[in-house]
Amino acid sequence: MTPTESAQLKNRIRKLRFDHGEMTQQELADRVGAARQTIIALEAGKYAPSLLLAFRLAKAFGVTTEDVFQWDGD
Amino acid sequence: MKDSIPLAPLQRLAWFNLIVFAVAVALYLMAVPFFAGHFHRTLAAAAQPALGLFGLCGIWGFGSFFLYDRKRRAKVKLDEREELINLQAAAVGLAAFWLVFVALCMGVWAVLTYVRHQATLPVGFLPFLVIAGLVVQTVFQSFAILAEYKRSCGDDTH
Repeated sequence: MTPTESAQLKNRIRKLRFDHGEMTQQELADRVGAARQTIIALEAGKYAPSLLLAFRLAKAFGVTTEDVFQWDGD
Repeated sequence: MKDSIPLAPLQRLAWFNLIVFAVAVALYLMAVPFFAGHFHRTLAAAAQPALGLFGLCGIWGFGSFFLYDRKRRAKVKLDEREELINLQAAAVGLAAFWLVFVALCMGVWAVLTYVRHQATLPVGFLPFLVIAGLVVQTVFQSFAILAEYKRSCGDDTH
């Protein structure tokens, strides 16, 4: 995925973290089996995750993947 | 509130590689004048045997221990993004290797042919050229890893 395409993929991870008892980036990273740096890159919109990680993130928040990620592309 | 992020295993590996390289370079730079004085040689003549200090880079082999989970030793601690970073950095390193390796090969050949009028390459040169290329590859790969971490998750730690 190119940087432009990556920028089109928005997410609500930061908001969902705070809605879930101000979950820290490290706690979320541990839950989904990723590094904290990956969560930081995701929140900054600098990394587009694989489907598997997207589903893991959604499951960690108890929501659907559409509630976590939105794509603004054509 | 901002807090510091502990280094990821891949970042630790990259820093380890660069520190070992920096130590090897520092020792080399100290060894050249030492060899020149101790063995009564010119600096240029002492520069070649002092290259042996780059053998210190052999301890790069232990760097892979940074990538393994201490609890589950068989499991590598890289997530999908880190694997991608490692792959991209390896491509940068490989490109650097070929550039340096080909430049060194052609340079040595040119010097031997046109300066020393020598038709063949001494066999001892080949491992030296390969090792020089691999050292450059590892250094470039390590820089690329650190640059990618810096680019993708700079100061956004809250």
